[in-house]
Amino acid sequence: MKKRLKLTDIAKGGDAPLTEINLDELTPLPPPYDKVEEQPEFKRLTEEQKERLVCNLDGVVSYAALPKPKNKEEEKKYVEQFVSGLKKLLSKENNWTFLQPLLLSLDYCARCQTCNEACPIYLASGKNELYRPTYRSEIFRRLVNKYARPGGKFKAKLNREDIELNWTTITRFYELSYRCNLCRRCAQICPLGVDNALIAREIRKLFSQELGWAPKELHEKGTVLQLEVGSPTGLRPNVAMDNLEFLDEEFSEALGIEIKTPWDKKGADVLLIHSAGDIISFPEGPISFSVLCNAAGINWTLSSEVGGYDGVNYGVFYDDFQLAKVATRHAQIAQELGVKKIVMGECGHQHKAFMTVADRILTGELNIPRESVMTFLEDIVFSGKIKFDPSKNNFPVTLHDPCNIVRNLGIVEPQRRILRYLCPQFREMTPHGIDNYCCGGGGGLSVMSDVNFTDWKAHVAGRLKLKQVIDAFADHPDPEVKKYLCAPCLNCKLQFRDIFDYYKVKERSGIIFGGLGELAVNAMVDIKKPLIKWEEE
Amino acid sequence: MSVALIILTYFAYVFIVVMYSVKLIKIARMPVHLRWELYPIASETESKYGSSYYGDVEQWKKNRRKTVLKGIFYLLKENFWFGEYFRRNRWYWLVLLPWHIGFILIIAFHILCFFGAIVIIAGVPVSAQSTFILGRTFYYLILLTGVISFISGAFGSIGLLIKRLIDKDLRAFATPQNYFNYLFTLAVFASGLYAWHFVDPTLSGYREFWKGLVTLSPVPIDSATATHIILFALFLIYLPFTRSLHYITKFFAYLWVRWDDKPNLKGSKIERNVKEWLNKPVSWSAEHIKADGKKSWVDLTTEKKSDEKEA
Repeated sequence: MKKRLKLTDIAKGGDAPLTEINLDELTPLPPPYDKVEEQPEFKRLTEEQKERLVCNLDGVVSYAALPKPKNKEEEKKYVEQFVSGLKKLLSKENNWTFLQPLLLSLDYCARCQTCNEACPIYLASGKNELYRPTYRSEIFRRLVNKYARPGGKFKAKLNREDIELNWTTITRFYELSYRCNLCRRCAQICPLGVDNALIAREIRKLFSQELGWAPKELHEKGTVLQLEVGSPTGLRPNVAMDNLEFLDEEFSEALGIEIKTPWDKKGADVLLIHSAGDIISFPEGPISFSVLCNAAGINWTLSSEVGGYDGVNYGVFYDDFQLAKVATRHAQIAQELGVKKIVMGECGHQHKAFMTVADRILTGELNIPRESVMTFLEDIVFSGKIKFDPSKNNFPVTLHDPCNIVRNLGIVEPQRRILRYLCPQFREMTPHGIDNYCCGGGGGLSVMSDVNFTDWKAHVAGRLKLKQVIDAFADHPDPEVKKYLCAPCLNCKLQFRDIFDYYKVKERSGIIFGGLGELAVNAMVDIKKPLIKWEEE
Repeated sequence: MSVALIILTYFAYVFIVVMYSVKLIKIARMPVHLRWELYPIASETESKYGSSYYGDVEQWKKNRRKTVLKGIFYLLKENFWFGEYFRRNRWYWLVLLPWHIGFILIIAFHILCFFGAIVIIAGVPVSAQSTFILGRTFYYLILLTGVISFISGAFGSIGLLIKRLIDKDLRAFATPQNYFNYLFTLAVFASGLYAWHFVDPTLSGYREFWKGLVTLSPVPIDSATATHIILFALFLIYLPFTRSLHYITKFFAYLWVRWDDKPNLKGSKIERNVKEWLNKPVSWSAEHIKADGKKSWVDLTTEKKSDEKEA
C-alpha cells in the first residue's frame, strides 16, 4: 500500500522526490487512448540530470535554473530570503494588491477538503495527495503562521503545525506552486470563499519578487523580453509587421479576398491586440480578424510599438510588478494612438490581466475602455454587414472554454451564440461554461517546457481536458470524420498542440483545433476557398 | 459563586464583541486590492449562467444596476443550510449542519433569555402557566431553542469528531486544536443538555440567572446550570482564538473579493485609494523589481519604452 503523504513530509528526504508519476495510476482515458502501454512514455530524468538539477518534488522539473546551495551559509541565506518574502506578503505597502484576499484565504479555511474534488490536476493524477489544492495551501498557511507572525514558532509546536523550513521545503514548494493551473475551480466551490489558486499565485509571487525565481519562459523570456523587445516570442516590431504583411498576401491569395491589416492608425476606433504567438504559430487567427474587421467596415488598427502587438501578460501568473508594467505599456500605447477602445485578442489570460486584474492599476487617462474579442466578434457576426453560410461549417464542432474568459470574467454566452449560429453541428462538452476544465496549460504552464515539464502537462494537467474533448465527439469516433475543437485562446491552443502531438489526436480521432474567428471567416459567403484546412499543406 | 458567574458572563460577552470587532475592523480597513472576481457573481442578472456585464458590447456605456442584496440573501441562506456542502460533501454536511445549528440556536437562546429577563422585570411572568401570551411565548421559545441547540450541537460535535478521526483526508489536515474544539463544544452542549434533562426541565434556573444578570442581583443557581454557564462563557472567550470568524468573514470573502467586480472609474473612490497605495514605497528584493525602499509602485512599474522599434 502506498504511504500517505504528510504535510510535514515537504521538509524531509532531501533530494529524493516526494512522489512519482505512474501512468497506470492516472485517470483512464477513453478509447483509443485507454491502453496505458500505448500511451507515450513519461520522460524520466537521467542520473546526470538528477545529479545536476533540483528535482525533489515529483520527478518533474519546470525550472532547470533553480540554484543548489553550495554550503550551509548559502542555504541559510535562501531560507532567510524566503522568510523575508513571507513577511512582505503580509505587509500593506508591499502587497496591498492582494493582501485582503490572501488573508481571507489563509486564515479562515475550515480544512473540509471539499475543494479537492474540483481540481482537474488532482483528479487526473488518480488523486495523488501531492496535487491536492489544499496540500500546497495548508503548508503555506503553516509556514506563514510559524515564520511571519508573532509567537508563531511556539504556536506551531503547541498545535503540531510545525513544518521545518529548509532548502528541501523551499525548492519543493517552488515547484509545487507550478503544479496548479490557477483555474480556480477549487475556489469556485469553496463555501467559505477560500481561494487556493490565489495562494498558489502568492507563493509564485514570493519566489519571483523576493528571490528572483520564476520560470524562464514566464520571466526572462516572457515579460522581460516583452518589455524589452516587444514579445515573449522574440518577435520584434518590424518583423511582426513584415510577417503580417506576408500573411496578408498569402491569405489574400488562398481565400480569394483582399486582406490588408492596418498598423498604427492614429485615432482609430479600435486597437486590437493579438498575441504574437498567434501570428507565428496560428496565423489563421489574426488573419481572420483582419478579414472580419475590414468586411464589417470597422475603423481599427494594430500597433507596432514595443509590446503593442502582443497582448500576453505573463505577469498575471507570477509577479504583480511585471503584470503592472506590461498592462501599463499596453494602455500607454492605446493612449498615444488615441483609440476609443482596446479589444483583446483570442487570449484568455490577456482578457483577465488587462480587463480585470490590472483594471485598478490603470488610473486616469490610462483607463481606456477594454473589450473582449468575444463580444466584439458577436457584434460583427450579427451586425448584418457580412453574409454567412453556416453550411460551410457543417462538421462537428465543440467549444473549449478558456478559464480566464468564463470563470474569471463571466463571458459565457457571446461565443456560444456565434457557434450556434455558424456551426450546425455545434455541441457542448461536459462540464462547460463556468464549470469547465482547464486545458491543462493555464497559469502560464502552457508556455513552460523546461526539461520534462511537457510530459507532465500532457499526461497529468491536460488529461481531463483531453478526455472531455474525445467524449464530446464520441458520436463520431472515426478519424475520417473531421472535427473541430474551437479554443479561442492562444495559451490553450499551445497546450492542445502539445497534447494533440503527444497522443496523435488528429491522426487517431480526426480532431483539429483552432480559434473562433476562423470559424466565422470559414462561413463567410465572400470567401472563395475555405480557411479551415483539414490537412497540412 | 453567583457574583463570579455574573462577572464571567459579562466579561465573556464584552471580550468576544471587542475581539471580533477588532478583527473585523482590521480586515475591513485593509487596502483596496486588485480585482480577483470569480463567476458566477450573485448580483449579475444572468448569474445562473455565470455571465457578467462583460458579455455586453461596450458595456461601459450602459448603466449598471447592481444590488448586493441577492448576494447577502444567498450567503445568509448558506449560513443556515450549507447548501454547497449538501451538494458536494454530503457526509460532512450531515454533521456540520447540526453543529452549526447548535451554535445559531444557542445564540438565539441567549438573546431570548435576555429579552425574557426584560419581560420578567417588566412584570410578565415567563412560564408555561403564565397568564400572558408573551410570557408563554418566551417560555416555549427559550425552551425550544435551548433544548434543540443542546441536542443538535452535541450531535454535531460528536459527529465531526468521529468524521475527522475516521476520514483519512480530513485527519491528515487536522490539528490538535480541531479535536479540542469538538470536545469543548461537546462539553458546552452536553452540559446544557444534562442540566435541562436531569436538573431543570423548564430552564427556570437559566431564566432567573438572566434576570439576575440584567438587574445585577445574583441569584442562587444549581451546579449543573452553573457548569453550563461557566463553560459557555469560557467558550465565548475562546472563540476569537479559533477560525470561528469565518461565519462572518465569508461575507467579506464573497462580497469584497469573489463578487467584487466594481470597475475602476475615473475620479472614483477606488481610483483615489489605488493612487494612494501606488505611491507607497516598496522593498521587495528581487533584482528585476529594482526596489530600494524609497521608490514607489508607480516609479517601479512605469518604465520608459525602449526604442527597439527605431533600432
